[in-house]
Amino acid sequence: MNDRKHIGQEVEKTLNSLDGAKRATANPFLLTRIKAALQKDEKGFWSKSLTFVGRPAFAFTTILVAILVNAVLFLEFKSEPSQQSSDGEQLFANEYNLANNTIYDSTVEPE
Amino acid sequence: MVLDEQILIKKLKQGDEAAFKEIVGTWQNMVYNTAIGILQNAEDAEDVAQDVFVQVYESVKNFKAESKFSTWLYRITVSKALDHLRRKKRKKRFAYIQSLFGVNNEVIIERPDFQHPGVTLDNKERAAVLFKAIDQLPENQKIAFTLHKLEGLSYQEISEVMKTSVSSVESLMHRAKNNLKKWLTGHYENEE
Repeated sequence: MNDRKHIGQEVEKTLNSLDGAKRATANPFLLTRIKAALQKDEKGFWSKSLTFVGRPAFAFTTILVAILVNAVLFLEFKSEPSQQSSDGEQLFANEYNLANNTIYDSTVEPE
Repeated sequence: MVLDEQILIKKLKQGDEAAFKEIVGTWQNMVYNTAIGILQNAEDAEDVAQDVFVQVYESVKNFKAESKFSTWLYRITVSKALDHLRRKKRKKRFAYIQSLFGVNNEVIIERPDFQHPGVTLDNKERAAVLFKAIDQLPENQKIAFTLHKLEGLSYQEISEVMKTSVSSVESLMHRAKNNLKKWLTGHYENEE
């Protein structure tokens, strides 16, 4: 019985042990830390971008995309008939009048 | 709201550095004391206090003065402290799981009893036991009890910080005290 009463008293005293406690005081350099954090945040965009670009995952993905684009372009050009390129040349020549004419090609209009 | 406070906030909204310095100077102990009460770790409380004022600087434009500035500050502090606590618990859990699989061989060091720097010398030992008990409380009860006991806020003020009714705070405090009593009784029974 006495024990129970004693424990009850201890519990009450412990529950009230924060009464009269003073406020904990912050580090006097807190403002300096905050300012540094704010400046870091301002620089943040570029440093974050550089960090992102510098990641191995980003480098590998970029290389993979470049290889894929090259492969697709290569296959596309390879599968096209060569006729098309000569057609293109012909069209270009016609457009700029680059035909290799000889004297026999010219016709004299009768007067 | 006090006129000086209004002027300070208006100046801060315009990006006035001197106003920010004064705001930090005026409220840093309030923020730090709240954070240390919730986190029970001085270094973590400093980190949280820093994050709180960074957020204040960045989002003061959103402060519409519907509540007191201190209420807004308490809200940010509580939310940041709880986030910090959750992150820490997650890390601890992850480290424990890793240790089970033998991936992480780091020794998990038990935290020493927390000593609040503002507690009077004759109450230090009891307060350390009380903080251990507070650490076992659910988040809401922990916040209400800490704000009341360490910051001396009334139930009305706590209800504004926690965006709840006064009767809810009364209920939270009642449950918190009951849980603490149970834990402390067990603690002292084992001691004898």
